[in-house]
Amino acid sequence: MNKKSFVKQAKKYWPFYVMALPACVYFFINNYIPMGGLILAFEKYTVSGGIFGSKKVGLENFRFLFKSADAWIMTRNTLLYNLVFIAGGTILAIFVAYLLHELKSHISRKVFQTVILFPGLLSIIIVSYLANALLAGDTGYINMHILAPLGIEPISFYSEKKWWPFILIFVHFWQITGTNCILYLANMSAVDPGLYEAANLDGADRFNSFKNITLPCLVPTIITLTTLSVGKIFNSDFGLFYQVPMNSGAIVDVTQTIDTYVYRGLMNTANMGMSAAAGFYQSVVGFCLVMIANAIIRKISRENAMF
Amino acid sequence: MKRKLVSVLLTAAMVATMLVGCGESKTDNEAGKVGTEADQSDSAEVEKIKIYLPSAGKRDDMAKVMEAVNEISREKIGVEVEFKVYDFGQWFQQYSLFLSGTEDVDMLANYGGYLNAVSQGAAYDITDLIQEYGQDIIEMEGDYLKSGEINGVQYAVPIYASYAWNMGIIYRQDVVDELGLGEKVAQVKNLEDWEEILAAVKAAKPDMTPFVTNSGNTAPNFQYGFWDDLGNNYGVLMNGGETADVVNLFETEQYAQLCGVLNDWYNKGYSNKDIQTQTDAFTVLTQNEAAFSTIGQTDFNTAFYQSTSCGKNMGAILLDTPVARTYNNVTYTIMSNTEHAEACMKFMNLWFSDKEIGNLISYGIEGEHYQLNENGMGSYLDGQDASTCTYHLGSAISNTNRIRWESENPDYAEKLVESNSSAQKSAALGFSFDPTNVTNEITQLDNVCSKYQIGLESGALDPETYLPEFIAALKDAGLDTVIAEKQKQVDAFLAANK
Repeated sequence: MNKKSFVKQAKKYWPFYVMALPACVYFFINNYIPMGGLILAFEKYTVSGGIFGSKKVGLENFRFLFKSADAWIMTRNTLLYNLVFIAGGTILAIFVAYLLHELKSHISRKVFQTVILFPGLLSIIIVSYLANALLAGDTGYINMHILAPLGIEPISFYSEKKWWPFILIFVHFWQITGTNCILYLANMSAVDPGLYEAANLDGADRFNSFKNITLPCLVPTIITLTTLSVGKIFNSDFGLFYQVPMNSGAIVDVTQTIDTYVYRGLMNTANMGMSAAAGFYQSVVGFCLVMIANAIIRKISRENAMF
Repeated sequence: MKRKLVSVLLTAAMVATMLVGCGESKTDNEAGKVGTEADQSDSAEVEKIKIYLPSAGKRDDMAKVMEAVNEISREKIGVEVEFKVYDFGQWFQQYSLFLSGTEDVDMLANYGGYLNAVSQGAAYDITDLIQEYGQDIIEMEGDYLKSGEINGVQYAVPIYASYAWNMGIIYRQDVVDELGLGEKVAQVKNLEDWEEILAAVKAAKPDMTPFVTNSGNTAPNFQYGFWDDLGNNYGVLMNGGETADVVNLFETEQYAQLCGVLNDWYNKGYSNKDIQTQTDAFTVLTQNEAAFSTIGQTDFNTAFYQSTSCGKNMGAILLDTPVARTYNNVTYTIMSNTEHAEACMKFMNLWFSDKEIGNLISYGIEGEHYQLNENGMGSYLDGQDASTCTYHLGSAISNTNRIRWESENPDYAEKLVESNSSAQKSAALGFSFDPTNVTNEITQLDNVCSKYQIGLESGALDPETYLPEFIAALKDAGLDTVIAEKQKQVDAFLAANK
């Protein structure tokens, strides 16, 4: 866009620019100015030196992330959980959105949607105690009221690793699906009903019209949401991985993510430089992944790329 | 045109509400601050300082009490103070922020050690200041003041608390009496002996867990052990610091044996199957009749103190002679970027020694926030209690310069001074470990510990299998490096203090 046409555009659409202004100011103050603080990742921070005057230590602060024996475990966990969350989450959200969409009764659709959405509004602390009420060894619902009557030995969930990938994935989907499917549901409602009628006349069954009409209409949304979540693939939901397992040591191998590792390691030392380094590392990797994902999408289908 | 106008108006309205929103939240913050803006009139000679600390006590009438405090301190040392008090939960979340130097802090309480404050350069070097303005503190603390010293530099003032303690068993005395176990309890000398009592309680009180951890799973069960942990458990002096040889605690026989006992109790059902994920502390569980005993820090006053906080008649058994170790659990530091360091030191000294100030800050104004009973002990006003009184901060920097509260041990002050001055002292008393050179190792070690330590020390993990695994993981994470560094620092400390 050259300068002249920008001025022309600005003249024509100026109310929109004014409307965007508060958001721009917000992002500038809240998201861009603090980026100056990233310099902390390369410093040994001292109060007297301040953010910009402290001693520079190069990449020293990043060492703890890679040196440890846990580096592999936490990276693997973060990546794999996120891959499952992204792929499974999308499929589940579309599936649930489709079911809701197909409901004829307006009231039951609202009821179901609210019920599915509700877990997403709960604080993760409450969720962790709900899980605890189900899973606890002595008093848990599963052990007391399901396994015991069946004559099965009680399971000590909080000290057996094998259950946790399933528990965490289940809890995550239980919490998040309601929120995720809203966007897809809105998209489905926006599809021209004429298309379905035409397909119906041509003898297409439900599955075929879903595959050939609904799904293609959702592709842009799927791509945008997935690309955005790829950017957060090195971050994890701290509450889910720290609170829900009740910080139990025995299952750390399958619940440790980069965020919980940083928390556990720096909780007692409160080292500004090292925590900044961890955040910096996650953001840079996330940023690169978004760029790569977008580039690939642009190669495959130009019009679906975000930028 | 009309439409355009509407959109402009809407936009303007939107921006306006946003700004109003900002303004409002700001005034909220101002209103939320505790304390008082003192008179501006004589600000020329009077220095004003802000002290940040956590407290669970009531402080609605803070402004009034501060006025009374300032009246005294203005006259005696020319200093006015403002206390910024936070609830404990909030405090631990904001403490890092206070350390970062971005808040207007002059003097700061440090709970759970002040080493972060030093390693971040947030603590003022008070070596000279304390000599000049802190004579009362020096006289009272004696050797124990060294707990606030690193490499010959005084950074912090530890509160005058009970320095001499050891690991012990804390239990429900009323349950012991009820079951007639008194004689057996009197014969308990070590942790193994306790099993007999646990078995009796389990049989008689099926709804009460005989043994629980002291602070849930938020801290390791052997946090207060027989050894001098020198700031963290990575390299300790065994037997309360008999010698200055730094050893690997986790490889000692004593540690393995303790884990073994706990594991045995776990297997026999004396502790809960969910002991690893239990978040409630012993105090809470006891209040709710859910727990019988635990292990923890024990000294001359433990039975008394625990009886108050649990609301039950409690007993305590010391499992070894009390030993004085470096105490820096609660300290006060002066912020490195303050402009009123001298004033802070002067006030700290006054707070430490002056009875009037001590009483005011702890309990408020006599007759208005508390009253004295016939024994000269403090109590709430008639018709008031802990939740309805308007001021009862309870914070003190020296536990001897205030009247005793009615729930306290009447002889506490005398016994405290006696216990502190007569106690056996750790070889490294006053030593504080500086972790700067081994931060990377400690980060990894903390992670290894989060995996094994709670489980092993609560007895949920079998030490036969997991202790060797734990030790190997610690070595991989660089425990030997940290121990070597610690030994080096201990040697240097001892050489400097000969």
